[in-house]
Amino acid sequence: MSNLFVNPFHFSTISENPADMLGDFYSLNFEKGRVDPDSMILNLGPQHPSTHGVLRILAELHGEYVLRAEPVLGYLHRMHDFMGQVKTPYQFLPNTGRVDYLHPVAWNWAYCGALERLAGLEVPERAEYLRIICCELNRIASHVMWWGAFVMDLGGFTPILYAFEEREKINDLLQIVTGSRLTMNSMRFGGMGADLDDRFLQKAADFIPYMRERLKMYDRLVTGNVIFRRRLEGVGPLDEEICRRYGATGPVLRGAGVAYDVRRAEPYGLYDRFDFEIPVAESPDCLGRYLVRLREIEESLKIVEQALARIPAGPYKHPKAPKVSWKPPAGEAYFAVEGGRGKIGIHVVSDGGKSNYRLKLRAPGFSNLSLFAEAARGTLLADALAILGSLDLVIPEVDR
Amino acid sequence: MIKAIVDNLRGLWSLLVGLHITGRFGLGPFPVWLGLKEPESGYPQLTTHYPWKTVDDADLVTFRGPLELVPSEEDPRRSKCVSCLMCVRACPSSCLTVVKGGQGKAPAVWLNDFTLCSLCGTCVEVCPAGALRFSHDLYWVAEKREDLVNDLLARLAGAAPEKARL
Repeated sequence: MSNLFVNPFHFSTISENPADMLGDFYSLNFEKGRVDPDSMILNLGPQHPSTHGVLRILAELHGEYVLRAEPVLGYLHRMHDFMGQVKTPYQFLPNTGRVDYLHPVAWNWAYCGALERLAGLEVPERAEYLRIICCELNRIASHVMWWGAFVMDLGGFTPILYAFEEREKINDLLQIVTGSRLTMNSMRFGGMGADLDDRFLQKAADFIPYMRERLKMYDRLVTGNVIFRRRLEGVGPLDEEICRRYGATGPVLRGAGVAYDVRRAEPYGLYDRFDFEIPVAESPDCLGRYLVRLREIEESLKIVEQALARIPAGPYKHPKAPKVSWKPPAGEAYFAVEGGRGKIGIHVVSDGGKSNYRLKLRAPGFSNLSLFAEAARGTLLADALAILGSLDLVIPEVDR
Repeated sequence: MIKAIVDNLRGLWSLLVGLHITGRFGLGPFPVWLGLKEPESGYPQLTTHYPWKTVDDADLVTFRGPLELVPSEEDPRRSKCVSCLMCVRACPSSCLTVVKGGQGKAPAVWLNDFTLCSLCGTCVEVCPAGALRFSHDLYWVAEKREDLVNDLLARLAGAAPEKARL
């Protein structure tokens, strides 16, 4: 009988205090407690301001140094994949805006794009332009928000207050098209749910020069700051190899010097008609990733400017766009878009029934977070938090 | 040695530049408060200070507030709803309750549970009679959970308060 009972409290002989040796059963590598008799296990989160949500980081510290770290996920798991298999395709649309609250438009686009590819639906040209405008404005809002939160992680509180000014302006813009300010849900299969008006065009035209001025202010306030630079220069170098191994995409991969962007690599929508650059960092450290994101804001502004100048007249939704009770045909399709954090991929399999047979959401944040355990090994705790911040995590997206 | 001094001086200068920016933003409202400038020319006010000011109606044209029924042309106290229940079937959150049995095709009960509603707009799109729309009610507050179950027929008839005011 005694063989059947396994003592879950694994005590090692090296500790004087057995309670200190309690492992964590929800983790992969911390189950047996500490590896070093002089170390200490620290729980960062699930309620910690610099994890930006309910993410828990288990770190074994030797003094100020991180011996090893492991992210523990699942505190915000909402079964979005499964919800997509229970609800009809149309009913799942509001969920896509809730997967990543900072860049919901890209998730909308990924889901609509996947089902449009599956069913071979056409999207009118005006709707494609509307999608690009909304998606890029939302990307700017996402990066601006990250900029403020990242500097706040490093100890500078003021920038996030300035970041919210831009976010407020973009929210006012997006509200005109999408009707909401946070969990936007404006795309429909075969077009958009609403059209933009003259007020939007005028406000957006005002916003672009304003944002360019603000970017100069960002550079003077934060990028040039000596404390900020010395916190980031040479910290957390992530090279191409580690990004490839963990599947990191987006600004993390571009920070490693790889010019990979889904908008260029597998053009979707009308992105092949636009003139923009893929910014790549010179150094693979945290500062490189920071500069990549700031330059991406400029590129997004360029795209919005071109799109506003060229937007054609016409319907914003295809006249034969599917109705609410639409059943997609049997088959499978994969559609990837570039979100604020990286490659968003949606794989949908349908057997011709009411709801999708299988839905798989590929979130960039999950892959980007996975490399944290390896990147944080051997760094100072404060540097580990800088690395965590530079990955730009959105926890609802990591957990889905 | 000289390089270190120059680096430090540059660093100090970058801190001064940052202080200048935050100082300018931080002291921005002071000339207005002291009466040296017009209120409009001072620090730009992007947000709305709610109890004293409300958002312009022009900014709410497309805003999706809680659902409401569209009044019919003949009688503004009656709705266009024909009780087909398509919205109830389409709703992803099961937040609508419609009971048939009113006068003619009109519904007897029309409830929207706002605690469940995610304002996705599926019901508005699916409605064949065009009887649903989003209100622009930003300031709706409730103290109890039950108060958030919105009786749209009563609201349409004018029994429900239009807007919670201070």
